[in-house]
Amino acid sequence: MSAGAGVDVLGVEGLTCSFGGVIAVSRVSFSVPRGELFGLIGPNGAGKTTLFNLVTGLTAPTAGRLRYRGRDITGLPPHRIAALGIARTFQNVRLFGELSALQNVMIARHVRTKSGVVGGVIGLPSARAEERDTRRRALALLELVGLADRPDERARNFAYGDQRRLEIARALALEPELLLLDEPAAGMNSGEKRGLSELIRGIRARLDLTILLIEHHVPLVMDLCDRIAVLNFGELIALGVPAAVQKHPAVIEAYLGDEA
Amino acid sequence: MPAFLAAYDFLLVSMVLAAVLALSLYLPLMAGQLSLASPGFYALGGYIAAIISTKVFPPAAGLYPVPLVLLEMAVAAVASGVLGVIVGVPALRLRGIFLALATIAFVEILRVISLNLDVTGGAIGIFGVPQPFASQIHYMSLAIPLLVLCMLFAARLERSRTGRALVALREDELAADAMGVNPTRYKVLAFTVGAMIAGVVGALSAHFINTWNSRQGTFDTGVSLMAFVLIGGSRTFVGPVVGGLVLTALPEALRGIADVGGLPGWLAQFLRDGRLIIFGVMIALGTVFFPHGLITPALLERLGRGRRHRVEAA
Repeated sequence: MSAGAGVDVLGVEGLTCSFGGVIAVSRVSFSVPRGELFGLIGPNGAGKTTLFNLVTGLTAPTAGRLRYRGRDITGLPPHRIAALGIARTFQNVRLFGELSALQNVMIARHVRTKSGVVGGVIGLPSARAEERDTRRRALALLELVGLADRPDERARNFAYGDQRRLEIARALALEPELLLLDEPAAGMNSGEKRGLSELIRGIRARLDLTILLIEHHVPLVMDLCDRIAVLNFGELIALGVPAAVQKHPAVIEAYLGDEA
Repeated sequence: MPAFLAAYDFLLVSMVLAAVLALSLYLPLMAGQLSLASPGFYALGGYIAAIISTKVFPPAAGLYPVPLVLLEMAVAAVASGVLGVIVGVPALRLRGIFLALATIAFVEILRVISLNLDVTGGAIGIFGVPQPFASQIHYMSLAIPLLVLCMLFAARLERSRTGRALVALREDELAADAMGVNPTRYKVLAFTVGAMIAGVVGALSAHFINTWNSRQGTFDTGVSLMAFVLIGGSRTFVGPVVGGLVLTALPEALRGIADVGGLPGWLAQFLRDGRLIIFGVMIALGTVFFPHGLITPALLERLGRGRRHRVEAA
């Protein structure tokens, strides 16, 4: 089942999410065509992470629909959405801290592998081959994000910036078509941020990814993204190419105005 | 050696069975689920064996056939597995302490049912469960292979795709879910396999202790099993096995030390009668100083570093 060229990878239609009386995301609509690097910015509490949680199924929307490659994924549980090809990283880094970097990445091969309890425990040839393949792919991904020298180190022992890279490797192990990065540059110094920009560009080109990026660091977003959506108090206040968004009066007032 | 085996036959077999039971509690814990349901499935397995061996195949002269014991163990495994899924699917929606409470309630429900059914012998239970062996130490010929099998299973599981999914759930359920691991499916799986192991141990135990009643497999057993796993170690299958073996032997060992003589009277008295205090202090200190138990993966790695390098090179 290949997505037709005209079908958007992600379609967000009138998405609304309220927690009690607080409306975190309000009637947001946009679509992301295949291969786009789509930025999502906005002040703290604007609803960016909630939007990610909605897309990945961690939070159920109050109203509206979500489409992935034309298919309605509204209300599916997170693991089903992951299996369809949507992977993410977390704003507050949610690695499996006690496990090694390699194990963290291998776990995310789950939906791309099949061995069951019996096969794995008895060690059937197919399960062994799959295990070797999982390991090889996980090592290659650690290499890709620059952590190949420490595969056996426990995840929580990595520096903050390295943990964010490890999360990207873990997300990529799912072989996603759509990758959601939640503030991947947070806590990084300017050198690391440059490295991260290159990494994001690199994986997008190499792995044919569509990427949704939440980022507070405005120069990084402006530099990387094809289009940018600006959220404020849960509402989409601007959407367009970086240069246009930057000049948008509502954006200047809501977001960039605060920065200046 | 024969004298030692003869004197401690009951204890030695009990140690091995305790280690297997500890593994049954460890399995759901691999997925981060603290379940105290094992004693319930243990009780169920025991009743299945006791009923089959006394009522379905009425005792004849001589020893009870070992193949029939194995058949009972298989029936116990299947029955516990089925009940495990039925109980697990709703119960594992609960988290943390609420799951522990629900499983305690499950054990209590089974106990009350067994107290009130005719087939389980009511409050009296089932006496005279027939013996497949002439001597108690011979139960080792079933208990040891069972332990080895369960250990191999756990060891291989930990290194498989399924084992990784379980551990991912333990570490961070939400992240595991977002990485494609179906939480309900794998929690129920771990719970059910644990239930099957407990049922098998129960079936063997009914023969071993010759009688089965509603005082077998109660909440108290659950607390002991939890101690085996928490003190032994909850991050590798070696922990519960060592915990089950050592903590079952410990009271007897302390009694032995007290009997050696030459100790001040109060100390001998304490070693003889204070074992519950020692147990309690160990659990309390353990949770503070060894939150992952005494046997940890890091410890095993240090012990087995040389061996592992050879394996990796191969």
